[in-house]
Amino acid sequence: MALAALVVKDIKQLLRDPKTLLMVLFMPTMVMAMFVAGYGRGGGAVPIAIVNLDGGTVSWQLVEAFRNSRDFTVAYFAPTSEEGVALVRRGMVYATIIIPEGFSRGILRSEKVCLEVVLDSSYAAVSELVWEAVVVAVQEFLKAASERYGTFAVDVVRTTVYGPEVTRVDLFTSAVMGVLLHLVPMSLIAVSISREREKRTFEQLIMTPVSSTDIVLGKLIAYSIVTVADMVFTLAIAVAVFGVRVKGAFLDLMVVSLLLLMCSLSLGLLISVMSRNQLQAYQSSVFFFIPSLLFSGFMTPAEFLSPEVRVVTRVLPLYYFLRAFRNIQLRGWTLMDTAEDLYVLVAETVIFLLAAIKLLRLRVE
Amino acid sequence: MNNELAVEAVNLTKVFGRFKAVDSINLRVEKGTIFGLLGPNGAGKTTTIRMILGLLKPTTGYVRVFGIDVEKRRRDVLKITGYMPQHFSLYEDLTVEENLYLFASLFGIPKGKARERVQELLREFLLVEFKDRLAGKLSGGTRQRLALAVALVHNPRLLVVDEPTAGVDPPLRRYFWDKFRRLKEEGVTVLVTTHYMDEAENCDILVLMNRGRIIAEGSPLEIKRRAFGGDLIDLEVSGDPSWVLRDFVVLEREHLGNGKFKVRVLVEDASEAIAQLTKAFEKGGLRVHRVYPVQVSLEDAFIRLVEGG
Repeated sequence: MALAALVVKDIKQLLRDPKTLLMVLFMPTMVMAMFVAGYGRGGGAVPIAIVNLDGGTVSWQLVEAFRNSRDFTVAYFAPTSEEGVALVRRGMVYATIIIPEGFSRGILRSEKVCLEVVLDSSYAAVSELVWEAVVVAVQEFLKAASERYGTFAVDVVRTTVYGPEVTRVDLFTSAVMGVLLHLVPMSLIAVSISREREKRTFEQLIMTPVSSTDIVLGKLIAYSIVTVADMVFTLAIAVAVFGVRVKGAFLDLMVVSLLLLMCSLSLGLLISVMSRNQLQAYQSSVFFFIPSLLFSGFMTPAEFLSPEVRVVTRVLPLYYFLRAFRNIQLRGWTLMDTAEDLYVLVAETVIFLLAAIKLLRLRVE
Repeated sequence: MNNELAVEAVNLTKVFGRFKAVDSINLRVEKGTIFGLLGPNGAGKTTTIRMILGLLKPTTGYVRVFGIDVEKRRRDVLKITGYMPQHFSLYEDLTVEENLYLFASLFGIPKGKARERVQELLREFLLVEFKDRLAGKLSGGTRQRLALAVALVHNPRLLVVDEPTAGVDPPLRRYFWDKFRRLKEEGVTVLVTTHYMDEAENCDILVLMNRGRIIAEGSPLEIKRRAFGGDLIDLEVSGDPSWVLRDFVVLEREHLGNGKFKVRVLVEDASEAIAQLTKAFEKGGLRVHRVYPVQVSLEDAFIRLVEGG
């Protein structure tokens, strides 16, 4: 009963604060639009790698043809196929083109030769682009080479591997959702209890027989209701308006997003309980966000970080969210496939909440 | 444990860092009284009240409200205690009615009853016309009325009000004191702090605080007597009154001219002493022009107590 009253009260207060409401409702769409403008379309050339196992003159002419392509840049030359594939897996390049041994000799003898293209299928759109560009470049090469070397055929073989799906364009949906579902709810709720303290409403509130559980859960539920609408809205806009592709189930993405949202709100509540005033609470939530920004795999894949830093990474909710979200969005995994990440998110939520309830003192000092 | 006590505070001390805000005070508030905590700003009144309500943890000592230990069973205390803080502490972005409903449900009052109670309070505190207005948009006086209404939403047996009349205009001040008296008639114990000495006269029992300590305690009359050691009487007589007054304590003596003198005399009890003195002067052949008990204000008493002690 008391809990329900508190939930209604907090929702009313949230809805009557136009500035906050505006931030909550329009920031996600704006950020999403900015990301799309900045990273989504066109952009620079796609980086690829080349493994030239042949080394003959003709093979270098092919390499030259690739280098002249405006659709990608040759970022690496790898000495072995394994290393070439590893570059794709690590997300350094979108594709590796392997020129097999005997390529030049085969062409000179007018035999049928092979060319292998290893594509990162985590991001299908880019893979297709690279594939088409490779085919075009090979055809250009064919035209020029057939004049010199006579007729021959090049069979382009396509293989795919999963990269760590952390290249620039891939990032934006998961990253935007991560920021929006982490920083915004966290800083929003972080000031909630300290505002009650500053406005002295806390003093009157704790003169009623409410428990700290009532207060903490009341805020969590109220803020969840208001921000969930926001989350659904942002995801829907991402897919419908900005054409973000989702390989897995849209509903699964919702579940993952909801878990991060609850986790962020719980962490925000913990910050709120521990802060003396609104300013401190706000600063703390930004401060808490910095490691997430740096080490959660948000900017650089977490796998590239030093082992010491990876210890930090493993406590960040955003790390688990990004993994789960990307696996579902880009690899088409299901919730069960990424269950481990989700368990951690749930566990952290529970820990933050229990700590907040435990630390909330119903006193005015 | 005394069943007649609404509040019993024993050896309460609160230390903030190096500052002793409240220094081992004892309070005994009897049921059904208007009990005043009087003192200048910074005397420790609010700190004392907050300790009584369990909003602050005492450094030493303990508090019982109607025999219930505040530290151990605070929730039980809250159910029978209403509190109106010094500063407006309601939700400014909720309306008058919403604030009342919120606190009614936080006290666990069932919906139907809550509706009845809220309507009753809206009428009683002249808030009906403001019921849909946001609390933040109310004028000072209306806010104070709302704050008192909220404090009473669950029909508490003890009402604690911290400086209810600070910055409030005289008609509303009177309104508040009338309310407190009516509550007292209904059996509610009212514990009120104030730094207005004049309105403290309305209390049944007063405790005077200064710098975290209690410097006097009793009814307003008792406190005044204690401050001066008795009642004061002013006399205007023709002729030198010294001889007649040789057995009395004369505090002031002034020659008004034409052999007329004005003297202020300290006596044990004014009503007895006036008759006695008039008789004595007439016996001595001195004409008494005027004789009247001095209306000592609590302020005078307070200043004397602070300076004297």
